[in-house]
Amino acid sequence: MRDREHKEVMGKSNLMIKLRELLLEEDRINQEKLTNEVQLLKDEFNTRSKLEHKIDPIIEDHLDKLKTDFPTLFGPVITETIKYQIKHSQDEVVDALYPIIGKLIRKYIAREIEMLSEKVDAQLDIAFSWKGWINRFKAWFSGSKETDIVFQGVAEPVIEEIFVIEQNSGLLYGSYSRNKTMDQDMIAGMLTAIKSFVVEAFKSGEQELESIEYESYHILFKSFKKYFLAVAVSGTITASFKDKLDGTVLNFANKLRKQAQEVNNTDTDVFSGYLEQYFKEINK
Amino acid sequence: MILSKKVILLGHFGVGKTSLIQKFVHSKFSEKYITTIGVKVDKKVVRVNGRELSLIIWDIAGENARQKVPQAYKMGAHGAIFVFDVMRPSTYENIEDDIKHMQSILPPMPFVLVGNKKDLMSEQKLNVLKKALPKNDFFFSSAKTGELVEEMFGKLAKLMTQ
Ligand SMILES: Nc1nc2c(ncn2[C@@H]2O[C@H](COP(=O)(O)OP(=O)(O)OP(=O)(O)O)[C@@H](O)[C@H]2O)c(=O)[nH]1
Ligand SMILES: [Mg+2]
Repeated sequence: MRDREHKEVMGKSNLMIKLRELLLEEDRINQEKLTNEVQLLKDEFNTRSKLEHKIDPIIEDHLDKLKTDFPTLFGPVITETIKYQIKHSQDEVVDALYPIIGKLIRKYIAREIEMLSEKVDAQLDIAFSWKGWINRFKAWFSGSKETDIVFQGVAEPVIEEIFVIEQNSGLLYGSYSRNKTMDQDMIAGMLTAIKSFVVEAFKSGEQELESIEYESYHILFKSFKKYFLAVAVSGTITASFKDKLDGTVLNFANKLRKQAQEVNNTDTDVFSGYLEQYFKEINK
Repeated sequence: MILSKKVILLGHFGVGKTSLIQKFVHSKFSEKYITTIGVKVDKKVVRVNGRELSLIIWDIAGENARQKVPQAYKMGAHGAIFVFDVMRPSTYENIEDDIKHMQSILPPMPFVLVGNKKDLMSEQKLNVLKKALPKNDFFFSSAKTGELVEEMFGKLAKLMTQ
């Protein structure tokens, strides 16, 4: 009986063990799986490259979203801040912007007119254009170039100052000025220095400095052997103005050559007289 | 009509060329050192033998390794002022060579030699320096006190009109 009982118990416990084994086996496998997965995760987490691989797309996604949504997300805040700043420091803002904008606009307009003028020039060059001919006739009869008719009164070129300056020494032979603002001798010296500087700095050799431009001013240089002319012009330089100026410069140079024997060529007053006589015409 | 002459100031950087001109033309002196970039042209009318003479003064930057100055600035000059700094031997050690160099690139013209910043040196040391120099017709000036500033330009003006 005992034996039977024992057997029974044994059978029961065997069953239990089997059962447990069965149950635990599944657990064990599960646990092993889990451990493996945790290990894998740990690995991924600790290896930057592997992590990046996973996270980057997410971040990128967010960044893209931020980029496209930035104006709506932060726009109002930034606008408010700037608005506030401008409102509460108006004078500073105006002070800072005014000269820049003024210069920009002036330069821009002068440039635009120059370009437009050139475009019109090109158009008028279409030789058999009927309109071109009509314009040309108009110009012939009124004595000015067709392009100039279109832009009459807009930033007309005006000779502000002319200097006749001895080469090298930079001494002033004579000058003509609409409104003498600075010392003419000093300007003559500085213009000579700029000219020398350009020749030497850019190793231009025989090449000469032809013009300097600043804002809506131009300084045109015309070189002769003993002296050069520097002509300061405000406004937009048109081709016809250039033509007229070149012609006058040559006439003037001729006059000087012819009179070279009679005129003491360092007499500034005589020089200045000639200059006025020759160049006042252009400004009319 | 006023006669004009071009005067150039030569010498190492920082010896006081600009200061001497400032003192001479505008009666001003500043302790601040603002090195001249390139060249600056100034002007002063002086009287020589009862006649007016316009000095067009070219303040040329002292050359150094970093700044080369166009030789053209010196062209056409009628007179030169060589300036050195009495406190800095390097500015006068080669003065004879410097003068020779100028004479090789420019036609003959009058010049004066100037040892500047005299106010920084004792009489005693100055006397030692005077003996060591190759010539004895130097002006020892100070742009700060104005000592001999008028005189050096006056002397050159006279030489240029002879
Ligand atoms: N105490 C004293 N200082 C001087 C005198 N002359 C010039 N200085 C000072 O020396 C410094 C240089 O003077 P500048 O006149 O600028 O020298 P520079 O020869 O024109 O120099 P660069 O233009 O660089 O060639 C400045 O700080 C001046 O104040 C002087 O006579 N006495
Ligand atoms: Mg200087």
